[in-house]
Formats: sequence, C-alpha cells, structure tokens
Amino acid sequence: MAPISGPDTTQRSYLWQDGTVRSWLLTTDHKRIALLYMASITAFFVLGSVGAALIRLHLISPTGAILSDATYSRMFTMHGIVMVWLFLVPSIPVTLGNFLVPLMLGAKDLAFPRLNLISWYLFIMAGALVVYGLFRGGLETGWTFYTPLSTDYTQGRVLPVVAGVFLSGFSSIATGVNFIISIHQLRAPGLTWYRLPLMLWALYATSVIFVLATPVLSITLLLLAFEHFFHVGVFDPALGGDPLLFQHLFWFYSHPAVYIMILPGMGVVSEVVSTFCHKPVFGYRFVAWSSISIAAIGFLVWGHHMFVAGTSLYAAVVFSMLSFLVSVPSAIKVFNWLGTMHGGAIRLDAPMLYAMGFIGLFTVGGLTGLFLASLASDVHLTQTYFVVAHFHYIMVGGMVSAYFAGLHYWWPKITGRMYPEMWGRTAAALLFFGFNLTFFPQFILGYEGMPRRYATYPAQFQVLNVLSSAGASILALAYILPLIYFTWSLFRGAPATDNPWQATGLEWRTSSPPPVENFITPPVVTHEAYDYAALDHPDTAQRAEAPHV
Amino acid sequence: MSEHPEPYDSPQHRDETAIAGMWLFLASEILLFGGLFLIFVVYSHSHAAGWALGVRHTSLVIGGINTVLLLTSSMVYILGVEAARNGNARGIIQAGLGAAALGMTFLCLKGWEWHTEFGEHLFPGPGFAIGGPQAGGAQLFYSFYFLSTALHGLHMLVGIGLIAWVCLRTYRGRGRLLQVMPVEVVGLYWSFVDLVWILLFPVLYLIGRV
Amino acid sequence: MMVHVLSCWVVLLMLLAVELFVAAAGSGWGIGACAGVMALLIAYGFMRITRAPALAFIFAVGGLFWLSILLALGSLDSFTRTNFPVGDTLSSTAHDPRTPPDTAP
Ligand code: HEM
Ligand SMILES: [Cu+2]
Repeated sequence: MAPISGPDTTQRSYLWQDGTVRSWLLTTDHKRIALLYMASITAFFVLGSVGAALIRLHLISPTGAILSDATYSRMFTMHGIVMVWLFLVPSIPVTLGNFLVPLMLGAKDLAFPRLNLISWYLFIMAGALVVYGLFRGGLETGWTFYTPLSTDYTQGRVLPVVAGVFLSGFSSIATGVNFIISIHQLRAPGLTWYRLPLMLWALYATSVIFVLATPVLSITLLLLAFEHFFHVGVFDPALGGDPLLFQHLFWFYSHPAVYIMILPGMGVVSEVVSTFCHKPVFGYRFVAWSSISIAAIGFLVWGHHMFVAGTSLYAAVVFSMLSFLVSVPSAIKVFNWLGTMHGGAIRLDAPMLYAMGFIGLFTVGGLTGLFLASLASDVHLTQTYFVVAHFHYIMVGGMVSAYFAGLHYWWPKITGRMYPEMWGRTAAALLFFGFNLTFFPQFILGYEGMPRRYATYPAQFQVLNVLSSAGASILALAYILPLIYFTWSLFRGAPATDNPWQATGLEWRTSSPPPVENFITPPVVTHEAYDYAALDHPDTAQRAEAPHV
Repeated sequence: MSEHPEPYDSPQHRDETAIAGMWLFLASEILLFGGLFLIFVVYSHSHAAGWALGVRHTSLVIGGINTVLLLTSSMVYILGVEAARNGNARGIIQAGLGAAALGMTFLCLKGWEWHTEFGEHLFPGPGFAIGGPQAGGAQLFYSFYFLSTALHGLHMLVGIGLIAWVCLRTYRGRGRLLQVMPVEVVGLYWSFVDLVWILLFPVLYLIGRV
Repeated sequence: MMVHVLSCWVVLLMLLAVELFVAAAGSGWGIGACAGVMALLIAYGFMRITRAPALAFIFAVGGLFWLSILLALGSLDSFTRTNFPVGDTLSSTAHDPRTPPDTAP
C-alpha cells in the first residue's frame, strides 16, 4: 500500500495550484471550501470567546464586575448563538468533514460541488446577519429564543439574528444533503459500508440530523419572526396560543442538534484512538451503528428540556425514559474506545491526548445528563449552573477537544506541514486542566442552587466563581497557543510525509497536501477498515488478498 | 471559476445522483412543512371551535379552483418530462410554459383571495373581524392560514423560476443533445409543491367547515 | 405514458370531487383519506417514485417517518396536559381588547 502519488505532485497540490483570491472565492474544490470554512469559523470562535471572557470576568464579583445587567444578558446570548450556530455546528462536520469526506471515500469531490460553495456563501451571509444584529443592539433572549420574550417583550434585534440563524440552517441542510448523497454514491470500488472509516458513519448520522431536524428550526424561526414582525399570535397566550409549542418545535431541532455537536467528535475520536493504538477499533459494527442509533433516538427525547415548563406529566415521563435510552449507544462508544486502547501500544501524540481528554470529559457530561433526565432531580437542577456545566462538558470538553484532536491529526494532510509536537501536547494538557477548573466548580454551584443567566449572585458563591474564571483564563491560553503554532507551522513546520501517523484511511494514501483531483490514480479498496496488518506488511497482505481481487 | 474535476463515473451516475439528491432535499422539505402541520394538529384540537370558525371564513370557491389549477399544472409539466424523455425539446418548452402559466394563475387568484381577506379584516391583529368567545382560536387559524399560504406561495415562485430556467436552457440548447435530468428534477420539485397544496387545501378550507 | 399521466390526472380530479362531497357530508376522516390517496397518487403517478433510484424511496419514507415522530411526540404533550390545559380561559375572555365583536360578513 505504498503512496500512490509521485514526488512531483506537490507542485499541483490544491493549495498552490492557483493562488488568486478569485480562485479561492469561486472554488468548487471541497478542500479549499473546507479551508474557507476553517477561516470563517475561527473568526467566529474568537468572537464567541471574547463574549465568554467578558462573562467570566463579570462574574468575578457577586454584584457583577463590568457589565450592566442588560449588557450581561446580551453578552451570554451573543456567546451562545455564535458558538452554537457559527462555530460548533459547522466545526467538525462542515470544516473537517468537507475536507475529509471525498478523500475518505476515494472520490474526486463531493456529489454536488457547486452546492457546497453555495452553502459556504449562505453561511457567511448568515454570520454577517447575526453579527450585525448582535452589534447593533444585540438580543437578550438567550440562544433559545423563547417566546413570548422574543416576540412581544424583547428590546433587541430579533429579526437580523433570527434571519441569520435561519440562513445558516440552509447552509447546514445543503451540506447534509451533499454528505449523504456522496457517501451513498461516491464510494471507491471495494469500499463497502462496513469498510468505511467510522468518521464517515458519524458524519452520515450527523447529516441525517442536518437534513431532517434543521428544517424544523427554519419553520420555527419563521413563525417567530412572523409573530414578532406582524404582531399576530402564533404562540401568543393572550389568544390561547401555546408558548410551549414553540419550545417543542425549537427542541425538536435543538436536541438532535446537540448531537450534531457531538457525533462528529465521536467520529474523530474513533479515528485517532485507532491510529495511535495502531489497532482496529474494537467492535467496529457496534460503533458504526451506535452513531446511527444516536441520531435516531436523539429525535425522541427533546421534551427533557421542558420538564418544569408546564408540559404534561405523561409526556414528561415518556421523554424521561427515552432520554435514558439515548445514553446506551453513547456508552457503547466509550466502552469500545476503551476496549481499543486496552492492551494497545498507545502513542501519546497531541491528537491522542486531545482524544483521551474527550473521552473523560464526554463521560462526565453524559453521566450528568442522566441526572437531568430524571424527573425528580431535574426539578432541583434545571436552570442552574449544573445544566451549564453539563452541556459545556459535552460541547466544549467533548466537541472542542475533538475538533482540536482532528485539527492536529489531519493538519499534516491539510497543509503538508507538521505542527510542533511538544507545543501540541502542552496545549492539550492545558485545555484539559483549564477546562476542568472552569466548569467543574459550576456543577457544585448549580447543585447548591446558583441559577443561570443572572448578572449577579449571592456572595457565598464567589469562591467557586473566581475559580471558574481563573480556569477560563487558562482555557483561553490553551486556545491561543494552537492559533500561534499552527500559523507558525504553515511557514516553518517540517514538511509532512504522506502518512505521518501510520494510519489506514484512504486520505493517507495520497500526498500531503493532496493534489487537486485528490488521487492521481483512483484508489481501489481491498482491505477492511483499520487493517494495520496490511499497512505494516503490504506484501504478505497483498498475497493473502489476491484471490479476492 | 477554476473547473474542478467532476466526481461522477458516467452521465448516468451523475443523473442518478442528482435525482437522489432532490428526493433527499424533498424529505427535508417534508419536515419544514411538518412544523406547520404540528401547529394545525395541536390548535385545531385545543381550539376546535375557533379554528373551525376560521375555516368557515375562507373562500372555498377560490381554494377549489386553485386546487384544480395546480393539479393540472403538475400534469402538464409531467407531459413535458415525457417529452424530454422522447427527445422532444419543443414539447418541454410548451409544457413548461403551460405549467408556469397555470402556476401564475394560481398565485394571482391567491393574491386576490388575500386581498379580499385583508379587506374583511381577517388578518390577525387588533382590528380582527371575528369576535366573541372563539376569537382567539380564529386568529390562530388565520395566523396559520397566512403563513402557510405565504410559504407555499414562495415555493411556487421558486418552482416557476425553476421551470422558466428549464425552458430557457432547453431553448438555448436546441440542436444539442437534450439533457433529461434537469427537467426531471424540477418536475419532482413542482409535483412536491402540488402535493403540499393537496394536504393544505383540506386543512385550510374543508376540515371543520360543516 | 401520456395515457398514464392523463388518467392519473383524471383520477385526481375525481378524488377532489369526492373530497368536496365528503366534506359537505361533514366527515373529517373521509377528507383525510381522500387527501392521503391524492398525495400518494402524486408521488406514484407524477413523481414516479417507483422508477426513481431506490434511495429516493428510502428518503421519502424516512421523511414521512420523522414527520410522524414530530407530529406524534409533539402533540403528545398538548393532548395529555392536565395541569395547565391548552386553550385555557384566556382565549375566551370576552373583554380581551384584541377581540371586538364579530363583524365579518
Ligand atoms: C448522554 C445523553 C444526554 C442526556 C441524557 C442529556 C440530558 C439533558 C437534559 C435532561 C437537559 C435539560 C436540563 C434542564 O434544562 O433542566 C440537558 C440540557 C442540555 N444538554 Fe444534554 N444530555 C445528553 C447529552 C448531551 C449532548 C451530547 C449535548 C451536546 C453536545 C448536550 C447539550 C445540552 C445542552 C446545550 C443543554 C442545555 C440547553 C439549554 O437549556 O440551554 N447534551 N441535557
Ligand atoms: Cu437535550
């Protein structure tokens, strides 16, 4: 399984083939579009982080240190909306996914290359609208836009923000359609479903959510905007409308969307864990199908966000039980990763450190989810910092760690350069430490009753809040470091070989960075996924395979 | 635009991919309208009387005529798809123009219906015409009515635009090999818009009328 | 083929007539059944779902399945809510400023 590309291909790598700005902005090459996404979501990540920093700074003092109450509300709304829709949703699936899906499939591009470019433009327009709205007055509803606050009482800029999120939804749908169809239609010869890397199973499951949940968000936001703009009642209790119906519609999207924000991370971790243990993933089929079942069951549990909102008790019981069900496939994954690592010769490079961080933090986040899914304990914990800590463990501790794992892992393939390993490990360790210091105190705060979304708090909570803010500054450092050394490595990093990690996926069989058409000769797959034996001993494996070819 | 290599093996592979893609997009559209239908399911039960009162104020005559128009438009367009399969470019253009004209007629009638409804103060809000104990439910109905017809109308506009595009590219491409796939994909969308109306029509005009 | 399309259309128009007739008789179920059959007829007769790639069928069924989840679980709450019933007294307050007396024709 020697690399297929010759040495001369670096000249024609997708990065340097045509350097004009125009060629980048009008490109239909999935790899370049991935980089366009990467640049844009990095900018949004910085914006969202500034919001987070201001929130944590403010909460150093029980009376609030720097912001007015109204500004505080706008700040956490800005932070939430930007982080969810402009960073986390497009992070791994759309950014890394765009780069990887065709390469892992052995295809030249996604099924609909032009739709892919359109989807990036939709995303940029969405981002512009959201940022415009947030800077011209902002919004105080939180990322959840609950009515009637968002329709009747808000003083903020509902319309541009909602319009932006609405557009970003279409960008997601376009990407989801593109991925699903590509995975069905563009697999290389020999690449059967059970030979797909687990990353693709995860992205497939994510795309199902993109395609089937996002339209419900679109219609919900449309209804909201309609009610807000024309002052007609849809969810208006004064007419007998039901504000909870808004919440149902919103969470029909947003609970599955939290799986958009974790499934792709699970895909990355499966790849990384296997590579750095140099072992096939334990229980491949279980891991593959657990992605699909998470996506499916994830649609059945949204009511757990509304237990105390006045929903029917019968519905609450049903939703609670279904929520417990969804933790089963998540647990399967965790155990299978551990099974993969068990007895493996683990190499602790930066991607693996991030991935191990993911496993630990995701487990904490998932287990605390069960506290929240139980009706009785949720009554105590809901709307407190416990919930904030729960979802940050998953979304930041899990998904952002996985995003960094993926960035470090595929960086050599994307750019053709190695990042400095020592700095990578340092950043990974800092992230884990800073993250726990920031968010673990919030579990205690929530348990002791500190509510979320208030600008001030009783003085007895100050110590834990200061600890949390101190952790946030370490976390910030852990984010700034990669920004610096990745940029550095673009120019000074050691050139990467085609397969620096001894990994098995098709993407490692082409040059780093890949040529415009991805593979000089279209690849043919003759091995199962994660077949390290074939990688290490290509000759014997080839002979063994011969009868099948 | 720097042309990037196409990912398909053959023209047939490309066409099949496009058609599958359109169906997937339509599945997404089902859920878009699904959100609206949830509103209908919930409110038409919890506010049955007010909702029905709203239904009784809609214009069944215009709704009925529009349904016939849209069914016919779909059918005419499908004849165009058949023409495309037979390599008949003129047939595509004729059918496309016919279908688009029927669609425009639908929209004009719809616009007129809206106009009269505005005149009768049936748009929800402070001056809403229907009073009494069921006023709330009736307003909820009319919120639903205006939003769903607007959303459906928007889809019709997009569909008419797509049909115009198909006609134009067929006209420009005379003499060259006819591509069936774009005609077919647009047909799927157009029929879907029709299908949505078939489900909206009873909800807006019939259920609760008697 | 043309015959096929035209007969489909004729059946659809007939079903529409039946639907109106059933509506006049006040049968909600009848209306729903007619509309459902018409929708199927469009999917099979006009959109030719049987001739499309097998994926198309899977996607269509998937869309409908998820739609049923949305409608079933989404309405479960309202239909079983006893603590604060949907459509409470607010909607029927006669002196609600938003609801002047009926002036519609
Ligand atoms: C392992 C399965 C999970 C269970 C059982 C679970 C359970 C819950 C429950 C019951 C709540 C509602 C708490 C309340 O408001 O009282 C909640 C909130 C939340 N969860 Fe999870 N969760 C799980 C996984 C996830 C994942 C994977 C993510 C994201 C990647 C996530 C993100 C969130 C978010 C964002 C909220 C708060 C939403 C808000 O009110 O703003 N959860 N979770
Ligand atoms: Cu949830």
